[in-house]
Amino acid sequence: MDMIVFILTGAFATATPLLLAALGELVTEKSGVINLSVEGMMALAAAMGFATVYTTGSYLLAFAVAAGLAMLLSIVFAALVLIFSANQVASGLAAGILGLGLSALLGREYESFTLQAPSGLSVPNLSNIPVLGSILFEQDIVVYLTVTTGLCLMWIIQHSRAGLILRVVGEDPHIAHNLGFNVLRVRFLAILFGGFMAGLAGAYASTILTPIWSQGMILGRGWIALALVVFGTWRVLRVMIGAYLFGALLLADLAVQTLNLGIPSQVMTSMPYVMTIIVLAIVSRNALRIKLNAPVSLGQSYRPGQ
Amino acid sequence: MTQKTLPMLAAMIGLATSYSYADSPLNIGFIVPNPVGEVGWDHELDRGRQMMEAHFGDQISVTAVDSVGEGPDATRMMNRMAAQGADMIFLGSFGHMNDGILLAKRNENLAVIHAGGYLTGERFATYAPRHYQASYLCGMAAGYVAEDAELGIIAAFPLPEVIGMMNAYVLGAQSVNPAINNVQVVWLNSWFDPARNRSAAEALISGGVDVLYSLFPGTPAAISAAEENGVYAVATLSDNSQFAPTKHLCAGQTHFGAIYINYVNSVMNGNFAAGDTFAGIAEDAMEVAGLSPDLTDNQRNAILAKQDEIRAGTFEPFTGPITDNSGDEVVTRGVRLTIGDIKGMNFLVQGLDTTLPN
Amino acid sequence: MIRYEFVPRAQPSTGALVIVPILTVALSILCGTALFYILDKPAGVAFYAFFIEPFLSNYTLSEIAIKAAPLILIAQGLAIGFRARVWNIGAEGQLTIGAICAGLIPITWPQSDNVLMLPAMILVGALTGMVWAAIAAALRTAFNASEIIVTLMLNAIAAQILVYLINGPLKDPRGFSFPQSVPFPDVALYPLLIEDSFLRANVSIYIVLALSLLAWIYVRHSFSGFRLLVSGLAPAAAHYAGFSSNRAVWISLLVGGAAAGLAGVGEISGPIGKLQPILSPAYGFAAIIVAFLGGLNPIGIVVAGFFMAVIYVGADGAVLSAGLPASAPIVFQGLILVFYLASHTLVNFELRRIGGTKGTA
Repeated sequence: MDMIVFILTGAFATATPLLLAALGELVTEKSGVINLSVEGMMALAAAMGFATVYTTGSYLLAFAVAAGLAMLLSIVFAALVLIFSANQVASGLAAGILGLGLSALLGREYESFTLQAPSGLSVPNLSNIPVLGSILFEQDIVVYLTVTTGLCLMWIIQHSRAGLILRVVGEDPHIAHNLGFNVLRVRFLAILFGGFMAGLAGAYASTILTPIWSQGMILGRGWIALALVVFGTWRVLRVMIGAYLFGALLLADLAVQTLNLGIPSQVMTSMPYVMTIIVLAIVSRNALRIKLNAPVSLGQSYRPGQ
Repeated sequence: MTQKTLPMLAAMIGLATSYSYADSPLNIGFIVPNPVGEVGWDHELDRGRQMMEAHFGDQISVTAVDSVGEGPDATRMMNRMAAQGADMIFLGSFGHMNDGILLAKRNENLAVIHAGGYLTGERFATYAPRHYQASYLCGMAAGYVAEDAELGIIAAFPLPEVIGMMNAYVLGAQSVNPAINNVQVVWLNSWFDPARNRSAAEALISGGVDVLYSLFPGTPAAISAAEENGVYAVATLSDNSQFAPTKHLCAGQTHFGAIYINYVNSVMNGNFAAGDTFAGIAEDAMEVAGLSPDLTDNQRNAILAKQDEIRAGTFEPFTGPITDNSGDEVVTRGVRLTIGDIKGMNFLVQGLDTTLPN
Repeated sequence: MIRYEFVPRAQPSTGALVIVPILTVALSILCGTALFYILDKPAGVAFYAFFIEPFLSNYTLSEIAIKAAPLILIAQGLAIGFRARVWNIGAEGQLTIGAICAGLIPITWPQSDNVLMLPAMILVGALTGMVWAAIAAALRTAFNASEIIVTLMLNAIAAQILVYLINGPLKDPRGFSFPQSVPFPDVALYPLLIEDSFLRANVSIYIVLALSLLAWIYVRHSFSGFRLLVSGLAPAAAHYAGFSSNRAVWISLLVGGAAAGLAGVGEISGPIGKLQPILSPAYGFAAIIVAFLGGLNPIGIVVAGFFMAVIYVGADGAVLSAGLPASAPIVFQGLILVFYLASHTLVNFELRRIGGTKGTA
């Protein structure tokens, strides 16, 4: 029982950096641009977010600095793909390397420093409910904000005018252009939002989830975030569920190991990835559903007037 | 000191050690696998380098490079150092072993010193601290404070060194608290992942452990998590008290400086021997540090007395009888394991509740 | 108001192909100078190490070959898939599995002097790399599961399989339980380019170049290459012409897996000479960049692979001779790539000055 509560509770925090970054990437991809620099943006943000809390003690400032730097990196990416019409995959990887390098360079003064973990915010009364209370109401504030952001995004993308424009641009930029929308501006803003969210994700990872800075600590989580967008078939709710499930699976590996079922630990460590493949195969069977949500122009450059 | 006296002094020391480095310092390349942090493996290696530099002053000239991981790229760095005239190269990772042996073989004027391997070769020496000795002592501390006799261990990979430390830890704990059994283990299967390390700590804490032992995690994340959750933490390699001001129970503190100084001296004296240094408490390469004030005076004295016994050679943690976790007696009464047995340890002692690949 | 705009060229500019590298290096040096100035390190020494030194000694040239071979090989395989818009992100895992399975041969017969051992390893490595990639192809074609995710997850699983085997059944029985296999016999290793030297470069680079030529022929001259091109760029047209996109998925992943598996053999039968916990410094990911830097063109990939290898080899020199922190070369590599991608625009576009107030969109 303790173990299950541990997994279900911890999954929220474990999933939060994945989800923040994935939500940002989802918006970017909805506009028809794939940005593979998520890992680099998260790393840069994690380094400088940590440095900011370490030197000033302010989490708010840290998240702002982290988001700002990740957005700067996303502007480099945006310049490559929007102004120079460079290949999106290559540009994302290049910007990602730049981000990883900068994170290591700027963060080297803070290598393996730690922070005191901020005390969690628990919702009064509700957190006293047995089991469910500790799972749902003893999370930190960023967890709640992330879920709220996700729900808002879900509404914006599906029901607002801004969401409609975003979807049209991602479906067919030429039609969007003919309808009078500024395709490059929409894509730029979508990329910028992706940077903003990856920045928050990085800052959360290094200041709240694991209050420590160490070079390379993002360790592929940016890539997992990218995979989550595809896993969730570009739908916010599915991405959110996917992130939570993956977070739970990561913790289940560690928790089940403590029971020693006589299985080599490497088998357990592989389980989240095996399970992801299995679940993916099951939920992907309906090809139509994926086609309905995948942005058609994803990965293709667009030049006005072409 | 005037400009004249410096070379003179150097020349005098040179005479005393019968090596003519008065004209040019001994060139030393120093490679560590990861960024150098506040605690841990790379930090301790680097601290050893600093001690070496402080000791020899301008008799040596050291080029230190960090973040040179295992794999084909490391070879390039060491070859370049050799090509640029290094007299000695220190390699800081087990994975540098095979390339280092080839390097030493090809460069007749080069001494290569490698951390944590099992092979030696022409002009290729290896050294390792006897971590397990401190593990035994920290195990005693854990046995004393574990009210529910619940211990938890987080470890990176099932290397023989890691297994030896786990075993010694559990033996130490059982020596003062026979109720210790079913020690829970979580393998990270990664050298470095702070978030995973922290989650592993939380998993064990939710499983009710009294003491958490973090073995080569590459990050203090688990130690911080223990502090936050009010669980005792035991650390490897460095005193981690700064990360757990109130719950730091014990740490095995490593000292590489003396080992390095010996090697440099031997190269300077022209009697460098490509041997195997397995240095522990007796050689001042290892000691317990950061013992918690929660331990009673008697408990603390018992631990320190045991440390003195190890130093004097009257006690060794791996002395039979030792039973493995399938119930077979693997070391008979009174028999001490050899260095080879310890360095290649691949059994788990009774009380360790985990499964190894085989 | 005067503004500039990129206007597409009718023909890719050959002049720009000369200008692009010059512009890239010039911009990188400009930015790099600022970077090294901030770090208070000698910029001149660093640039020399990055761009000149790698070409000056046999040793560095040999290291460039060592580094370029896997990058080019994997990138050629991936590019065939990327052209068909099949996204294999799992070369790292395919490399690992290919290396493990090929490694079983010398581990089983460590004393062998049978000269067929290396050819057998090459075959097994390519086939098993293919099998590992086939999992993604099967799930994609049967269940519509995204190959991006499946190949990414298979990377993590392959890494754990390696950890398990190398700490368990495949570890050297005389290796004091340390995580590595027995050293391979000579017949399991690629012959060195210069025998009995300390240069590590071996004949695998020739194999890689020969395969690159094959890839070029395949893409340029074969009907099957055309089909991949079609199904990638215009799925509807491909479908109309009777080409199955399932076929493209299979071909892409199988070829990519075989190339990556072969690259795995190149590592264990080349610079490494055994199985160990780390087989590749993320060649599988770096090769994605190489594939795109090379414009998904087999010849371009060869050039891009050597280019990347030069800046990797140069980075070590820069760390050592200019005393840069180990992370600075990564930043510099990022800058080079960004500037390259920006300047490369000039190949297909020209910068035109437009007067007046005409907006772009």
